This record gives sequence, structure tokens and C-alpha cells, in this order.
Amino acid sequence: MKLIFLLLLGQITPIVVKAVDTPYDAGGSITVTWELDSTWLGKIGRIEIYRYSSAGVSDSLVETLYKPDTIYVDNATEDNIPYFYGVVVYADGEIFGEGRTTEPAVSSQQWFNRKRLSVLIILLVYTIFLMYFIMRARFDKNLFIRKIAGLEAIDEAVGRSTEMGRPILYVMGLGYISDIPTVASLAILKRVAFKAAEYNAQVIVPCFDPIVMVAAQETVREGFIEAGRPDLYNESDIYYLTSDQFGYAAGVDGIMVRQKPGAVFLQGYFFAEALILAETGHSIGAIQISGTTAVTQLPFFIASTDYTLIGEEMYAASAYLSRDPLSLGTIKGEDYIKMILAIIILLGALMETFSIGNHILRDFFSIF
Amino acid sequence: MIELLKKLAGIDRRFIYAAVFLATAIPILTKATMKVEPLPEVRKAYEYIESLPESSVVMVSIDYDAASMPELQPMLEAFLHHSFSKNLRVIMLGHWPLGLPLGQQALEKVAGQYNKEYGVDYVFLGYRPGVAAVIINLGKDFRTVFSSDYAYTPIDSLPLMREVSNYKNVKLLLGLEAGAVGDAWVQYGYARYNLPIILGSTAVSTPDYYPYMQANQVISVIGGLRGAADYETLLGITGEASIGMLPQSVIHLVIIAFIIIGNIGFLVLRRAKK
Amino acid sequence: MKKEIPLAITFISGVLLVLALFIPHKPFGNLEEIFNDWYIIVSGFTFLLGIDSLLGYNFGKLKRKEKDAPYALVLILSFFITLTWGIVEIVRTPEHNPFGPTSTFSLYFYNSIFIPLQATMFAILSFFIASAAYRAFRAKEINSALLLVSAVLVMLGRIPLGQSAAPYVITVIFLIFAVYFFAESAGVTEPKIKIAYILVALIFVALIYPLGFVYFRQHIPEFADWIMNVPQMAGKRGIMIGIALGGIAMSIRIILGIERTYMK
Repeated sequence: MKLIFLLLLGQITPIVVKAVDTPYDAGGSITVTWELDSTWLGKIGRIEIYRYSSAGVSDSLVETLYKPDTIYVDNATEDNIPYFYGVVVYADGEIFGEGRTTEPAVSSQQWFNRKRLSVLIILLVYTIFLMYFIMRARFDKNLFIRKIAGLEAIDEAVGRSTEMGRPILYVMGLGYISDIPTVASLAILKRVAFKAAEYNAQVIVPCFDPIVMVAAQETVREGFIEAGRPDLYNESDIYYLTSDQFGYAAGVDGIMVRQKPGAVFLQGYFFAEALILAETGHSIGAIQISGTTAVTQLPFFIASTDYTLIGEEMYAASAYLSRDPLSLGTIKGEDYIKMILAIIILLGALMETFSIGNHILRDFFSIF
Repeated sequence: MIELLKKLAGIDRRFIYAAVFLATAIPILTKATMKVEPLPEVRKAYEYIESLPESSVVMVSIDYDAASMPELQPMLEAFLHHSFSKNLRVIMLGHWPLGLPLGQQALEKVAGQYNKEYGVDYVFLGYRPGVAAVIINLGKDFRTVFSSDYAYTPIDSLPLMREVSNYKNVKLLLGLEAGAVGDAWVQYGYARYNLPIILGSTAVSTPDYYPYMQANQVISVIGGLRGAADYETLLGITGEASIGMLPQSVIHLVIIAFIIIGNIGFLVLRRAKK
Repeated sequence: MKKEIPLAITFISGVLLVLALFIPHKPFGNLEEIFNDWYIIVSGFTFLLGIDSLLGYNFGKLKRKEKDAPYALVLILSFFITLTWGIVEIVRTPEHNPFGPTSTFSLYFYNSIFIPLQATMFAILSFFIASAAYRAFRAKEINSALLLVSAVLVMLGRIPLGQSAAPYVITVIFLIFAVYFFAESAGVTEPKIKIAYILVALIFVALIYPLGFVYFRQHIPEFADWIMNVPQMAGKRGIMIGIALGGIAMSIRIILGIERTYMK
């Protein structure tokens, strides 16, 4: 009542308030917007947002903002029920402005998130590229792929370790089976196991996660079978250590110092323990091949190990090692997409620098 | 002389380790502090907390454990001092179960200094598994994740929690990060619910979080021991981080000295080979 | 069939989750959460597998009386003591969460064993960083010399003592380079190259004052930030874009069943 009274007296500035269903969501949400005059900005103390249903249910305060915002998303609505909203602006503890929606807003679920349209387009273009190169790879058997030193060195490392009569240590990092670097690491492990079986060498894999352990056991067994030496496979060489980061680092360091492996593979996702493992490996004189997609740990690996697979080189490993034409095809496709992206990035930088094209590229790639 | 210089290229690592040990231990034992000029990003975080109105609810997530305690514990204590001195109310939870006791010990210690009451001024929720799922569900309703606090007290019997239904009632999240949980806070807490976030991180993971700050997805990032010392300086307190500045400076200079020495040896050796 | 069924499950769940990214409508909208919940439940059970493996491996060592059997004994004893102690705590004080920080057992264990052990492992990192930096930063060629100088500048820029130490550190490094180039010039007979070497050495000497004592004394924190935010970030983003593209390609290979090293 007081509000209406003050409004009639003309002491309260009317505010235009609009409420619409929050677009592209799973329902249960309405977006409220209002306009604030730029001359008020310094004065506003708080803004209260009220919600009321058309049935005349009394106003319920849903949020108080302490900043001069002009948008609020109410995430607690029920779908298919019309709601009205009111906004009250306070300055110096007094009501300064007030407004209500005139049209009801109803929240609902949508079938397509248009905000992610650009992601969909990029994904589709990328997939089409990959598919094209997979198809091409069926006929073109001689796809060229550049030499990756770290992968070339696997055979040498396994061979040298065997000559020294020492075991091979394979560390898969702290990743889970749902992490792509872990899956990539399994592909490299398979090759290592295959070579080790050929040379009759022992492969030790201490694991951080029990599921990864099971997958590693399967992978090593496969490698040994492919090499024709299933009799040499020993499941207890691939075991679970601990799921504590530094407990794991301590455990692996202990294995290195006691069993003195001739070759150490650090392949997977690593955190701060990366250098602890790599330096201990260096101190026992093992030949070390590392690989990770953890960008912050890459410099440590490059400094302390003999060969490092940098990021995507790790992902390329299974295709590189198996020479499977279909997998090689995807790598070719990836390279082309990368080239196109580089051109787009350059173009975007130029367009933004010289204010050409009304931010069309920037907006296309902004998904948040 | 030349022979001696050549040896500099291959100093025994145990000698380096001994030097590192002395260069850290001696300055720590002196307990001397150093004046630091706070970094702009720490100042921004500080000013944001300063701007929060009295009795606002802030949340801290303990996403680290004893290993990163030297860097992140001073940050937590400084934040708790800041919050309680401004009469903000604090909810603590965490995604690293083995780090949570560190959080609780600090919370009880600092709350005691300001005569704060459990349940009214601060609450310790504890741990629930499933990082992303926990963050998403807290955004919908705290009760779907935590029906009780760490001591099995129903959260609706805690006056503070009665006022908190979801992130809408939380004015700030301070994520103390030693791993990748900070990404989840940004990807789910910020992107889905617009939760205002400040991340405090170990020095080694700080570069990972800077892009979020540049993209305005987090308010600011407080990085490493230096960030904690900056924060302490802004608050005008002398904590562990301020004491850690001298050893940190000395050890950096020692490492630089070893790099230089190694290069002298290396260059002499290379000339000799020619 | 042994291969086809897992491949079909991989394909269907992969495609569903990709679709869910674009469809907010139920049931797609919350698929990711449902999958996450199930992953947590399943992975909880696999810890039994882990414990079985860990104990089996270490009991085996004890039985075979291997060289490092004493370590296996320590592990087995710690495992069972922790477990029994935890169970005793549950029975004695059921109102307390035994794995929470309230019980005397876990607090004692936590403060006197766990914290020191973990802190020790992490602290070892600083020793290793020093030895790795000593070995890795060698001025083998122009690129590695640039890397070395920028590493030193970033280190100086990040510490409170950096500004006052910078002039002297720069002086030492530039003098070393100058002396090296002078020494090199002595061994060269070609006059043009000889002059070039001497010139480079002189440039290093000439740069000491303006760079070290004027510019870096004042601006080294900003310069370090610039190195981290511009060249460092540019390289890092390049690698990250590659990793993202590689990740998508790898995921597509997994979904399509081309990449199947993870299964039998």
C-alpha cells in the first residue's frame, strides 16, 4: 500500500521490468530484466526482486542484489505456471524506484540449446573431416606421418633395459579411465608390453586407480599374447598402489630405487608429483620416456627425461604405433582442422584489431 | 683453474640438495619478514571481500591436503580473519577428504579468536564424494547434498543454514586449489549458476587458473605463498606466508646461482672441447 | 559377441552424451549427472579390487621372502592397524563419523603421521626443482640461452627481493656471455667473424647498465608478468588447442570403435 501511495505522489521512479522464460534450458528458470538510469548508479543501495503468481498470491522476495545489476535469473520456478515479477530499488535506505511486469512469464524446457550452435557446427565440420580422411585411408595406404622421436625410442628403451638385465617400469599417472590421456597411455603400454614380451623382459605397472589397473592388466596380457609369449605374462606385476597423490609418488620412487628399472615410462596425466618421479628416475640412470597433456608438468618432463611426448603426440601414439590406416586417417584430419583453425585465429585477431566485421568471429566462438 | 671451472658443469646433486636445505632452513629459523608490494590480482580479491555487506554468507572449499598446506593454509587463515573481522558468515566444505581436517582446525582456531558461534556465524559441512555432481547439486539445493553437517547435525537446525538454500544466498566462494577442482568450480559453479568465485591456488597450478581471470569467469586468483603473503599484508597481519617470503627469495637466488655456475662450467667445457 | 557388445555400449553412451550437450530437455539435460553418479558408485566398488591386488601382491612378497619383504610387512601392518583402529572407533563412538576429523584416532593419525609424510613428499619437490633447473638451463644455443635468461628474469620478477637483486644477477650473466664471446673471438681467424664476436661481447657489456640497473631494477615484476602472459601463454595455448583437437579425434576413434586398446 505504501508503495502505491508513494508512486501516486510521484516520489518513486517507475521502472520497466520484463520477464521471459530463460532460453535454451531444462526449464525451471525465468530471466528478469529491468532498466536503470545511468544517473542512479552511484546511489543504489540494494535491489529487491519479488515473484508472485497470477492467482494473487502475496509477493515473495526471491533475491536481494547489492550491485546495480539489471538482470536476475530465477532458477526456482515451476514449469507451465505463469509468474509476475516486481523490482524495488533502494537508495539510502529509502525506496527509490519500483516496477512490475505486465505480461506473465512461463518457464519451459527446450529441445535445443541455441547458445551451443557454434559448438555443434564446429563438431560437425570436424567429424565430417575426420570421416572423410578415415574413408580415404581405406584406399590410400601410404599416409605420411612425421617421425615422433619419443615413440621411435620405445623399442630402444625396452631393448637397452633388457640388455642391462633390468625390469621396465610403466607409470600411468593419476588419471582415471575416463581421462583421455589414460586411454592414450594404454595404447603405448601395449607396445611396451609387446616389445618386452619379445625380449623376455619384466614390465612393472603400479597403479593409482583400481579400474585403470584392470585395464592395464588386460592391455599387457594382450601385448604378450600378440608377441606370442602369453606364458611370460605375470598379472601380479601390474598392481594397485594407492589413490593418494604423494603416497603414490613415494611408492613409485621406492620401486625405482629398490628395483632399479632400466627404462621408465611416465605416460598419462600428472600433477605436482611429475618432477618427483622424473628426477628419481634420472638419478637411478634409467632411460626415461615421458608423455602428458598436463601443460604445467610438461616443462618438468622436458627438463628431466630423455624423450617427451607433448600433448597431442600422446594421442597420436596408438595410430602411430599400430599404423592402422583408419586411425592414421583421423590424425590427418586433425592436422587439416588445425591448419584451418590457425587461419581463423589469425583472421579473428586481425578483424578484432582493426574492428572489421562487427565481432562476427568473436561472437561465434564465445559460448559462455 | 680451468679444471676447477669445468667441474662446475657437473656438481653432485647431493651438494645442490644440501644448499637448498640450508637456504630454506636458515631464513625460516630467523623468522624474519619482508615487505611485499601486493600484486594487483590479490588486491582485487581483497577489495571484493571488503565490499561485501556485513553478515553476507561466504563459502570456502578445501580442495587441498597436507602436501600443499604451507601455501594454502596461510591463505585460508587470512581469509577467515578477514571474514570474521567483517562479520561475514562462513560455510566450509571440501572436495579433498584428507584436507578437510586442516580446514576445520583453522576454522575453529580463527572463529574462537573472534568469539564466533558455531551454527550461527560459521558452519562446517564436510565432504561428499563426486566433485562435479556435488557442485551442480549445491547450486540447486544444499539439502540434496548435505542433509547434515560433519557431526550429523541436521542442517535445518543450524540458524545459518536455514537462510541458505542454494548459491543464490552465497556471495562468494573461495576455492583453495591444489589440483583440478578449481576447473569444476568454474565450469559448473560459475558457468551454470553465476557463483562469484575467487581461487586461491598453489604456485604450480596458478598459471592454469589465470585464463579464467582474464575471461572474467572468476573474480581473481591468489597465487601461491606470495599471494598469501600479499593478502596478509593487505590485512595488516603477519602470518606464516609473510615469514615464508625471505626463505622463498633466498632459495630462488640460490637456484639462479646454481644455473649461472652450471653455465660457467658448461661454457668452459665446451671451449675446451673445441 | 564378446567384442561387439562393449563396442555397442561405448558407441551408444558416447553419442548420447554428445547429444546431451545440445539438448537441455529431459531426459537428455541431466544425463551427464546420471552418468557421473553411476561412475562414482561403480568406482567405489572397484576399490575392493584394488585392496585385493595390493594385499595379494605384498603377501606374495612376504611368502617368497623377497629382498624387500620388510617393506611389504610395514605396508600390511599399517593397513590392518588403520583398519582395525577405525572399526574400533566406530563401535566405541558410533555418534562420531570415524573418518571425519572428530575422533581421537583419526586426529592422532592425521596430525602425527599423515601430515608430516605428505608434507615431506611435496617438500622434496623443491630439491628436485633445483637439481633439474641446474641441469636443464644450459646455454647450448641461442634458443636455450633465451630460455635460460627468461627463466631467471621470471624467477627474479616473482620474489620480493627480485628488484634489488636483478641488477647484479644481470651483470653476472651478461659478463659471462661477454667473456665467452671474447674468448671465442680469439680462436677465429676470419676477420669479419672475429669483429662480429667482439661486437656481440661489447653489446652485452654495454647493455648491463641500461637493462640491469635502470630498466629491470624498476620494472622486473611487470616484465616477468609480460613473459608469463604473452609468450608463455601463447605457447601454452597452442599446445592446449592441439590437445583439445587430439582429444576430440581420440574420443571419436573410441566412440566409433577404431581405438580399442582399452578392451580385450
